[in-house]
Amino acid sequence: MTATTPSATAHNSAHKLFSLGRVSAIAGNTLRDLVRQKVFYFMLVFALVLIGTSLAMAVLSFQGQLQTVMDVSLGAMSVFTMLLAVLSTAMVLPKDIEDRTLYTILAKPVARFEYLLGKLSGVVLMLLIATLLMTVFFCVVLWFWQGREIANISTFAQPHLVDAEVAKVKAGTFTGTLFGGIGVIFLRAVVCSALTLMVSTFATSWLFTVIVALMMILIGHLVPIARSVWMDPMQAGVDMPWHLSLFLRVITVFFPDMQLFNIVDDIAVGTHVAAGIFGQVAALGGGYVAIYVLVAYLFFAWREL
Amino acid sequence: MSTPAISIQNLTKEFTPPSVLKRGAITAVRNLSLNVEAGHVYGLLGPNGSGKSTTMKVVLGLVTPTAGKTFIFGKDSRDVESREAVGFLPENPYFYKFLTGEETVHFYGKLCGIRGKMLNDRTRELLALVGLEDAAHRRVGGYSKGMLQRIGLAQALVQDPRLLVLDEPTAGVDPAGSREICDLILKFKARGLTVLLCSHLLSQVQEICDRIGIMHRGELVREGPLDQLIAIENQTELVLENASPELLKELRAKIASSGARVVGEGRPQQNLERYFLEVTSDAKKSNQ
Ligand SMILES: Nc1ncnc2c1ncn2[C@@H]1O[C@H](COP(=O)(O)OP(=O)(O)O)[C@@H](O)[C@H]1O
Ligand SMILES: [Mg+2]
Repeated sequence: MTATTPSATAHNSAHKLFSLGRVSAIAGNTLRDLVRQKVFYFMLVFALVLIGTSLAMAVLSFQGQLQTVMDVSLGAMSVFTMLLAVLSTAMVLPKDIEDRTLYTILAKPVARFEYLLGKLSGVVLMLLIATLLMTVFFCVVLWFWQGREIANISTFAQPHLVDAEVAKVKAGTFTGTLFGGIGVIFLRAVVCSALTLMVSTFATSWLFTVIVALMMILIGHLVPIARSVWMDPMQAGVDMPWHLSLFLRVITVFFPDMQLFNIVDDIAVGTHVAAGIFGQVAALGGGYVAIYVLVAYLFFAWREL
Repeated sequence: MSTPAISIQNLTKEFTPPSVLKRGAITAVRNLSLNVEAGHVYGLLGPNGSGKSTTMKVVLGLVTPTAGKTFIFGKDSRDVESREAVGFLPENPYFYKFLTGEETVHFYGKLCGIRGKMLNDRTRELLALVGLEDAAHRRVGGYSKGMLQRIGLAQALVQDPRLLVLDEPTAGVDPAGSREICDLILKFKARGLTVLLCSHLLSQVQEICDRIGIMHRGELVREGPLDQLIAIENQTELVLENASPELLKELRAKIASSGARVVGEGRPQQNLERYFLEVTSDAKKSNQ
């Protein structure tokens, strides 16, 4: 073999510092592992059941509100993508360390940065698949609701108003804002995933990672309050010592500002959101992911395996 | 002399316990220096906890040394590039359970930048080499210990490295499986691969290694060519076939008159391992 296939020798060519091929090999492998886990289907089925139930709730409630469908479905998608992100990302590193597969991977010419990025990409792909499946199901539910609404209008509305009413229902169901909101839900899950990956690079167990990550996400909901206090303590009516102010500054950098993603709640109640806002949220979310991956790398690069 | 395959220079590795309350650091390896020349099979021996695995992990850049440096073919272990030329089989390896044997080798091949038809050919070749063609499409989760070690060897060899680092490649494997792995290592040796291995099976080490180092409590206490280390300097062995009693009598007389002394005399025995394998392979045949 040594003599017959010298072409297989990779060590003649110069080593690339970063290779998309290596990252995608790790990502593909991680994705495969994750979608073979029971937890994935469990969560997915739960979310789908909830989204399905939203239709029943909307039908049973006397007025048959679109808002009920939106509220329950987007809520279910939010909770399940975030939980899926935290629970599965927390598993990724400890599993490789425990099974020593990490040794065999890092003993190949794979940089630790590539490894982390590959793992995160695998989780992100899994979240994308989960989000798409939920979205497809959600669209089916919405389509049912729309059909029912149109049937109602035809039966009950005054004949000369039917066309206008039907057009209104159609324009108000599958909106760009709605799909933008689903994008925000996905982005939030990716931020949670990057955060969890960062925690897992210094944590020693799955449970510890999950708890710390969930706590950080919870604290993240308080970030805007903290920020308003340190930005303008006088106005907030607080006389703050400098070290507390510094502490709050650190918090706002390390904890994700989860209020950022609250536009999903507005979308659920039917508020129109401008494209520019989505752009801002995407940029800030991307910034968080970048920071977490960088910090994760710094921890992981120095970690004893 | 050419660049050594592995060069370890004054390596010290201390593990600091995570908790400050615990006692001080454990020194896993203390001031260890050794070279493994290209083409050699080097055996690292030592009791459990003597620092063999730690030494290997430092060489592979998996563990950061406290002091000292290690090189693979002249490249610093801290550089990712140094890993182009080395294949590693860790102690008790596990692979992704949900992958088949073939997919496993594919995965590691992709990590080494091998793609397409070349990867497929290479995978088939390696699975044949380690004798896992029949299990290629079975999930690794269902593999036996011996099969895991062999798929581990296949992934270690995937980029056709010049150096193999094997941490207890025969631990926990039955005698027949252990023999097969030994024969594979001898095959690699014949092809000019450099091998660094550690093992507790001293008879196997004796059979396949050119050079050994013995570690004890993190220190290298003995090091050198195997035959020199264990040779008894002032004795010579003579094994005869079909020697008549007269010839033996004559020899004894000659030896006595020359001032030498016969220390021992007897029939050479084949080693138990070979005997066991001979018997069990016959049994297998007659059962079939
Ligand atoms: N990650 C680690 N953290 C703390 N101590 C370790 C670690 N790895 C190894 N050790 C300690 O270092 C010593 C040497 O271990 P090792 O290199 O595995 O020995 P061997 O392979 O010769 O059995 C042992 O005392 C072991 O407990
Ligand atoms: Mg060991």
